[in-house]
Amino acid sequence: MGHDNTILRVTDVHKYFRRGSERVDVLSGLNLEVGEGEFFGLMGPSGSGKTTLLNLIAGLDVPSEGEVWVGSNCISRMSESQLATWRTRNIGFVFQFYHLLPVLSAFENVELPLLLLPLSAGQRRQQVETALDLVGLKDRMWHRPGQLSGGQQQRVGIARAIVTDPLLIVADEPTGDLDAKSAVEILDLLEELRSGLEKTIIMVTHDPRAARRCDRVRHLDKGQVVDGSALQGEHVEEHVG
Amino acid sequence: MKLLGLMLKNIRRNWIASILASAATIMLVLMVTLVWSVLSFLDQVTAEKSKDLKAIITERWQIPSQMPYSYAATLTEGAARTDDDIRPIDSMTWSFYGGTTDIKNRTLDNTLFAFAMEPQKLRTMMDDLDSLPPDQAAELDAAIAKMDENRLGTIVGLDRLEALGKRVGDRIKLFGINYRGIDLELEIVGTFPRGRYDKSAVIHRDYLNAAVDAWPREHNGEEHPLAQKSLNLVWIKVPDSDAFQKVADQISSSPYYSSPAVKCETASSGIGSFLDAYRDLIWGMRYLLAPACLATVAVVMSIAIGIGVRKRQMELAVMKVLGFRPRQILIMVLGESLLLGTAAGLISSWATWYLVNNLLGGIPFPIAFFPSFMIDDGALWWGPAVGGGAALLGSVWPAWSACRVKVSEVFSKVT
Repeated sequence: MGHDNTILRVTDVHKYFRRGSERVDVLSGLNLEVGEGEFFGLMGPSGSGKTTLLNLIAGLDVPSEGEVWVGSNCISRMSESQLATWRTRNIGFVFQFYHLLPVLSAFENVELPLLLLPLSAGQRRQQVETALDLVGLKDRMWHRPGQLSGGQQQRVGIARAIVTDPLLIVADEPTGDLDAKSAVEILDLLEELRSGLEKTIIMVTHDPRAARRCDRVRHLDKGQVVDGSALQGEHVEEHVG
Repeated sequence: MKLLGLMLKNIRRNWIASILASAATIMLVLMVTLVWSVLSFLDQVTAEKSKDLKAIITERWQIPSQMPYSYAATLTEGAARTDDDIRPIDSMTWSFYGGTTDIKNRTLDNTLFAFAMEPQKLRTMMDDLDSLPPDQAAELDAAIAKMDENRLGTIVGLDRLEALGKRVGDRIKLFGINYRGIDLELEIVGTFPRGRYDKSAVIHRDYLNAAVDAWPREHNGEEHPLAQKSLNLVWIKVPDSDAFQKVADQISSSPYYSSPAVKCETASSGIGSFLDAYRDLIWGMRYLLAPACLATVAVVMSIAIGIGVRKRQMELAVMKVLGFRPRQILIMVLGESLLLGTAAGLISSWATWYLVNNLLGGIPFPIAFFPSFMIDDGALWWGPAVGGGAALLGSVWPAWSACRVKVSEVFSKVT
């Protein structure tokens, strides 16, 4: 389990909510490590805690107990404001439903996170064009989301995720809303990012074909990491690469 | 700047909602502009001046004030009896003469209400006419000179002249309404500059006095019923409030003004006393109508921005994921509302100012001696401020709820 170049370390994390006097445990003493440059898959049935874990890793939420370390930062101890600043520089988030701002062009959507960084207009433009070039959409950078296909929108979403050159790319079912052909293209793109730019990618997926692209896959069930073999019907090997 | 661009795009994206919210704001700012212009004007005329203040001397116990003309000579001197007594810097007398050009078929249009006064006092004692731009001053001075030469001369406001269907140079005969039986032949020698005196007219006081004096000769020596009541107001100008107080004491202590008794008060308090009859109306305008308009703008904007925020909850969550801080989202939503409200307020107040002051010649809202009101120049800045302020107030709650969007909760509803 241990990695010399561990970039993500989740240690004995609990996440629970209160529903009246009742305590609802979503994650129960979860431990996880992901190495730098790894394409890591996270699978599990609905309600297993995948999205909650992803939110903790991305600094969108904080654990009830335990620690989440990304690089040299213990993000579970950060304030909301510190987490916001940290996310801008260190996390690229890819959503299942793209979530591009409909009033902005592809260029402006990708530029959005850069507005929070101390960059000149020229620097921003250069970084946005590079990101859109990487995802093959430089020729459509002035199109609005409504003028792009689902696959193209997801590419813009990926460009937005990589434009700040983050430490981690977190993808929540990035192919979940795409047809098979587009899904393959997006997975190819993610693999390219991992191999070409040596990005660390953590991907939640229900799709076994997507999971097969990962270097390593872990299964979550009832808020805990379990062996892949313990889950029936999910024929994904623990170590793919 | 980028955040500003984003705000503008967000306003533009839901243009129907933006236009509806703006239209409501425009209408309500229009109401506030009109109401505040009237209140602002009344505040100005009832505000005490510290220098060169005007005082009004009227009959103490009766409205309308009707004093004998014999009071005029001493009242214009501030009832000064010794060399040590204070004398006013300037003064004027007013007698009110109402007449009609058609005694059998009297209408508002053929009726003229005139101040009988000394023509020269128009330029030194009448509000607004003492500070005219050079071209208008020259025109009025020429008309005053004609009145001095010809006491049949009259200067008429532009609206009144139009209603009478007459032009400068025309002659008219007025049949007395209050001075029954005293009919005056008049020659229109000029007009007032556009503004406060559009519905007024001025005739020479000597002409009216001569007609009153001539009355007994044609009526078996009997005086006209208004002969001892022909002085309605005396205006005096004093250098400061101390001088005013001394002059007021001189007048009140003089035994000469006992029947009828007179009172001397500053113009602002005199007008204030007159406006007492409208106190409830003014109170309602100031404390009910104007705040109600502002509250309505705030509610309208709150609803419009609130709907927008609910529709964009996912986007706001995405912005948070990208690293936007709650403060930045708060500023963005407040900014959208502020922009919308300020722009609507700007359009409303500027258009109202231009329309009322330049095209309509004032708001026809007769109150006290004032036939109409102009939109205060201050409306050009407080219109946008009112629109923006009310919109900002209305968007506080929607903006607060926008910046408190819990990212994990929003996404858990979708996935």
